[in-house]
Amino acid sequence: MRPRVSDVRLVGIKKSFGDNVIVKGVDLDVTPGEFLVMVGPSGCGKTTLLRIIAGLEQADAGDIFIGGKNMNTVPPRERDVGMVFQSYALYPHMTVKENMAFGLELRKLPRAEIDGRVAEAARMLELGPLLDRKPKALSGGQRQRVAMGRVIVRRPKLFLFDEPLSNLDTALRVQMRGELARLHRTLGVTMLYVTHDQVEAMTLATRVAVFNKGVLQQLGAPLELYHRPTNTFVATFLGSPSMNLVDARREGANFVGKGFSLPAVGDAQGEVKLGLRPQDLRVGAKGPLQGEVEAVERLGFDGYAFLKTAAGPIAARFEGADVHVGQTLWVEPQGEVLHVFTADGTKALHHPETRGAKA
Amino acid sequence: MLFLALLSASIALADAPVLKLWHGYRGGEEQAIEQAAKAFTALTGTQVELLAVPYDALSSKLTSAIPHEAGPDVFIFAHERLRQFHRMKIVAPSVALDRSKYLAPAVDALELDGTLYGYPLSIKCLALFLREDRGFAAPTTTAELERLLTQAADPSKNQFGLAYEAGDFYFHAPIFFGFGGVLFKPDGRSQFDTPAMTSSMKWVKSLQDRKLMPQEVSGALVKTLFNENRAAVVISGPWFTGEIDPGVPYSIHPLPIVSDTGLPMAPFLGVEAAFVSSRTRQPELAQAFAKFLSLGDATVTRVTLGRQIPAELAAYENEVVAKDQMITAFRAVAERGTPTPNTLEMARVWEPMKLALRAVLQGGVAPEDAGALADRRYRALNREAPPTTSPLPWIIGIVIGLLAFVGYQLRAGRGTSFARRFPEAGRGLLYVAPAATGLFVLVIIPFVIGLSLSLFHHDAGDYTFVGLANFTDILTSKGYRITEPLSFYFTLVVTLVWTLANVVLHVSIGLFLAILLKDPLLKLRGVYRVLLIVPWAVPNYITAMMWKGMFHQQFGAINAILGHLGVEPVSWFTHWTTSFAANVITNTWLGFPFMMVVSLGALQSIPTDLYEAAEVDGASKWTQFRRITLPLLKPALLPAVILGSVWTFNMFNIIYLVSGGEPGGGTDILVSEAYRWAFQRNEQYGFAAAYSVLIFFVLFAWSQVTKRLSGAEPA
Repeated sequence: MRPRVSDVRLVGIKKSFGDNVIVKGVDLDVTPGEFLVMVGPSGCGKTTLLRIIAGLEQADAGDIFIGGKNMNTVPPRERDVGMVFQSYALYPHMTVKENMAFGLELRKLPRAEIDGRVAEAARMLELGPLLDRKPKALSGGQRQRVAMGRVIVRRPKLFLFDEPLSNLDTALRVQMRGELARLHRTLGVTMLYVTHDQVEAMTLATRVAVFNKGVLQQLGAPLELYHRPTNTFVATFLGSPSMNLVDARREGANFVGKGFSLPAVGDAQGEVKLGLRPQDLRVGAKGPLQGEVEAVERLGFDGYAFLKTAAGPIAARFEGADVHVGQTLWVEPQGEVLHVFTADGTKALHHPETRGAKA
Repeated sequence: MLFLALLSASIALADAPVLKLWHGYRGGEEQAIEQAAKAFTALTGTQVELLAVPYDALSSKLTSAIPHEAGPDVFIFAHERLRQFHRMKIVAPSVALDRSKYLAPAVDALELDGTLYGYPLSIKCLALFLREDRGFAAPTTTAELERLLTQAADPSKNQFGLAYEAGDFYFHAPIFFGFGGVLFKPDGRSQFDTPAMTSSMKWVKSLQDRKLMPQEVSGALVKTLFNENRAAVVISGPWFTGEIDPGVPYSIHPLPIVSDTGLPMAPFLGVEAAFVSSRTRQPELAQAFAKFLSLGDATVTRVTLGRQIPAELAAYENEVVAKDQMITAFRAVAERGTPTPNTLEMARVWEPMKLALRAVLQGGVAPEDAGALADRRYRALNREAPPTTSPLPWIIGIVIGLLAFVGYQLRAGRGTSFARRFPEAGRGLLYVAPAATGLFVLVIIPFVIGLSLSLFHHDAGDYTFVGLANFTDILTSKGYRITEPLSFYFTLVVTLVWTLANVVLHVSIGLFLAILLKDPLLKLRGVYRVLLIVPWAVPNYITAMMWKGMFHQQFGAINAILGHLGVEPVSWFTHWTTSFAANVITNTWLGFPFMMVVSLGALQSIPTDLYEAAEVDGASKWTQFRRITLPLLKPALLPAVILGSVWTFNMFNIIYLVSGGEPGGGTDILVSEAYRWAFQRNEQYGFAAAYSVLIFFVLFAWSQVTKRLSGAEPA
């Protein structure tokens, strides 16, 4: 049976708690079957937005449509959504099986149907041997899977995840990330996923929505966001280490900043902010920018060096070279790599063409 | 030199005889006795040490101290206990007491089998207090009294003619005697089912029915009504003069003659006397001192300073005393009085009489049936002593049991040495010792004593071994049907219903309020929480007395509210259901805060995201409560429910203070019933101990059940 899929549409959603404005008018369209990740720093309103979609919070203004129907005043239990909580929220007095069957019992499904669905989900999540245990007797990863199973058995139109992996250790997180991606492929339902971890966003999403201070900054495919960030916030939020930002001024055919001069691209004039991904920079004996090495992150043969330059701190990649703290070295861009933003960083003026075209 | 002088002084002090006097006086009465003691010292050079003991504790202190030679040489007590003191051999006969010097009934009261004990000091009895400002002449007959009352009372203004504690046999006794009642047949037993009983009951009931006097009168109410001029006539004793507000004009008169019989209403006469201890080391001095207290200046001091009615005739000749209207009025009253019998049989009369009185006044029983009711209760309460049996088989059994136990322990411990198995036993014992000592002294010893006591029958200080007779009497409901309130089974059922009703109400109300208070958006949440915990913080006997007042039929707040709603006033303590409900309401008021606090704590420990998850899962609020809240509350609530059920099962205060077992002991629970057997029904300690043992077994069984209940769900 093919699961039902649904689109979600948010129009002008606003929400504040007291004087604290959390969501400042968000419009968002989720296409059926997609895995949309909402990402942003703590307090950016992404979780609140998810809870508004689930119906656990009421929006102060705006409309929520799920499957084309206005859901503004519909209680959570009638929205046909499934939600995985950050804390998993497993019922401590019920066994794994009872936890998963709870939602189905409330819908008065026949016993055989319930058992069948629970068994199916258990197989999918490899929970078979744990069905009669209480949540207390499970590990973090197992609880996480039960929380997922509880949603899967209900076959809702829409899956909501609220930072589901944040309580797991790194190895488990990588594993669960893979399982989530597989789950999405298998079920093909619409999934809305909230995280503050850009790696989860980049690896899981079909599209990523970046939020900051209650405002949707940019919505797009992960690589599009990476290559064509719409402002410096998105540019620095995605990618590790963060994009380097330096102030510069257009002077003829060059961008000139403190202690450097680079050939200009695009038609930006006056004061600008230049963005350089550390991956696009090489540390070497020559280049347009000079600085003193303050820290080194060696990942093996290659790594990143963090330099103090006249223009500010700069991170750059190195390969093999003998780089250590205290050295004075040069940084050189590898080809045409400049991102150009307005001086206040709110708008992108130019992206490296060739790379953007690939995304 | 100085040393020698000190030495000789101390020898002189040690040689000087010192007399010890114990009494229960306070205020002016205490000052009077102190002054008299000083006068005695001045006269004879004998030092007197006085010790004021609270009156309630004095009797037990005397009976325990004197046999151990730790008691006083002279003590002052009311004559009703004389028989008991004599049985316990703590009182010595008086020497050369001149009967002609005292009021005749006062001396009669001190006579036991032809011998006189102690010296009469003062008397107490009931008289008629009349408000002078109403302009009524003192009534000399009941017909006159009734006319007076009819004029004085005005039910529409809540004004009454007469107020007295009609539910107490002490106050009813003069009326009973006035209608020709006789307490004891020649064989010494009582017989209440007589025409005099009926007519005396009828008369009182008619006063109440005509609203000439209020219902359910307490001492405090009498005082209020008289001071507020809402009762023109009061029947009370000398102590009442201290309760009348200054400026209220009143006079004191003898109780009237009953018009139907021509007999005077004869009040019980209580005589306070100075008794000489049988164990005094200085009998002559002690006799002289006791006699000194009862005569001459000591008497006059007692009248002027202590406002006591003297037993000595000469005192009335004294100028000051002769002018004292109160004192002379009471003398006139006292001459008609009959001393309260100092027989053991008297102690058995109070409860049956009280039962009958209340039943009639509350309307549950017709005056004609009151005597029969009292008789039945009298026979039930005054059980024949069970046949004495030999304790030998028991002792042998216990000894064998102990030996077997010790032997078993020794056998079990064989093999590995004790020191091997418990290498740190010494230090361990040290740590355990304080708790073990406390447990032993406070729990085990009383338990063993209670257990042993249940095998004895007690009668006025004599204990006889009766084996399991107390238990068989209780369990076979000997002397009364099992449907009667005196039956163990009846009381057990009442206790179980009481416990169940309370726990259900406590938990449901407490949980309901906890859910309301949990809401973080509720304004003034902290204020509500404090207010709702207050009932728990007030000592429960205070709450009980407040509720008792609120349930009063005529003056209580509850009937006042019902009245405004157009409901007829409810006589709460007349019917079993309303009386039981009053108890339950009071105890629920006291009990729900605990359950609320426990629930609130447990509720707050349930994560809110469980409810959110349930909501997304499709659960309604009710389903969330049933499937999430209740199961998660269970681990916290179950111990609270177990605790609450045991507390309620043994909640003596509420039963005793609110319904007092009314009507007719029907609302008594097992503990209050045990209390009555021990302290209100002829001191049947063994029988009461057997009750307690049975209570223990019931609760023990319950604890086994609860163990299973809480064990079934490992937390």
